[in-house]
Amino acid sequence: MKKKITISKKFEFSASHRYWIDHWSAEKNNEVFGLCTSPYGHGHNYELHVTVSGPVDPQTGMIINLSTLKAIAGKIVEQFDHKFLNLDTPYFKDRVPTTENIALVLYELLDEQLKKEAGITLEKIRLYERGDLYVDVWPEDK
Amino acid sequence: MKKVQVALSKVFSFSAAHRLHVPEKDQAFNQQIYDKCNNLNGHGHDYYLEISIKGPVNTKTGMIIPLTDFDQAVEKVIAPLDHRHLDHEIDYFKNHRSTGEEIVKYLWQELEKYLGKKLFRLKLWETNNNYFELERID
Repeated sequence: MKKKITISKKFEFSASHRYWIDHWSAEKNNEVFGLCTSPYGHGHNYELHVTVSGPVDPQTGMIINLSTLKAIAGKIVEQFDHKFLNLDTPYFKDRVPTTENIALVLYELLDEQLKKEAGITLEKIRLYERGDLYVDVWPEDK
Repeated sequence: MKKVQVALSKVFSFSAAHRLHVPEKDQAFNQQIYDKCNNLNGHGHDYYLEISIKGPVNTKTGMIIPLTDFDQAVEKVIAPLDHRHLDHEIDYFKNHRSTGEEIVKYLWQELEKYLGKKLFRLKLWETNNNYFELERID
């Protein structure tokens, strides 16, 4: 029987954002984005679940040392914490900081860094905007 | 960038009454199969429904489906069930039992009219202790 083992760690960051497309009329922006167009932004306590997979090291009994995962992912998450995502991060100059787009940015950063620093595969991320709304991102071949 | 899949999930709720009962069968059968869910005058639940949509993220809006459209579609499907007796007031349950399995199948059928192939997964909580899932696997 083939099995897969994963480990997930949770991170939190608090940030504000605004949904707005400059070349759309105010009416169109309000129609599509609703309350999220509020001019000075609004915020959420985001919760990020980072799931990695790989063989369990027979000596340490671990896929990855959790403190390594915490250090790598923590450094990335830090860039988003207590920031206005539209202006205070470089990632949303030309895209709206929706939950989908924030998750895509986080996935890309995490995937690259985990591979580089720990040689580990990112299995999936789940980003909660609130308790009742979340986005999952995982590789297309899974 | 590596090719990825993206799914968005949102939780909604509705409260409804129902009774599990097979009309063609006698009382003993119904009592044995459904036990307290067969209570003559019905009973109710606060149902929680987690709806997942999957698809490409629109490069302009940054969304799989604009959330306002998503919410409106869900409202159309859920509002008719809220504070209703499913077996007495919803046509589908005239000839389907109002079990979690059937409710989740009904919700899929209705939601797919608005969400199409983007509808990816439903998770219906009947109580805190039992839930039903329906997922597209093609």
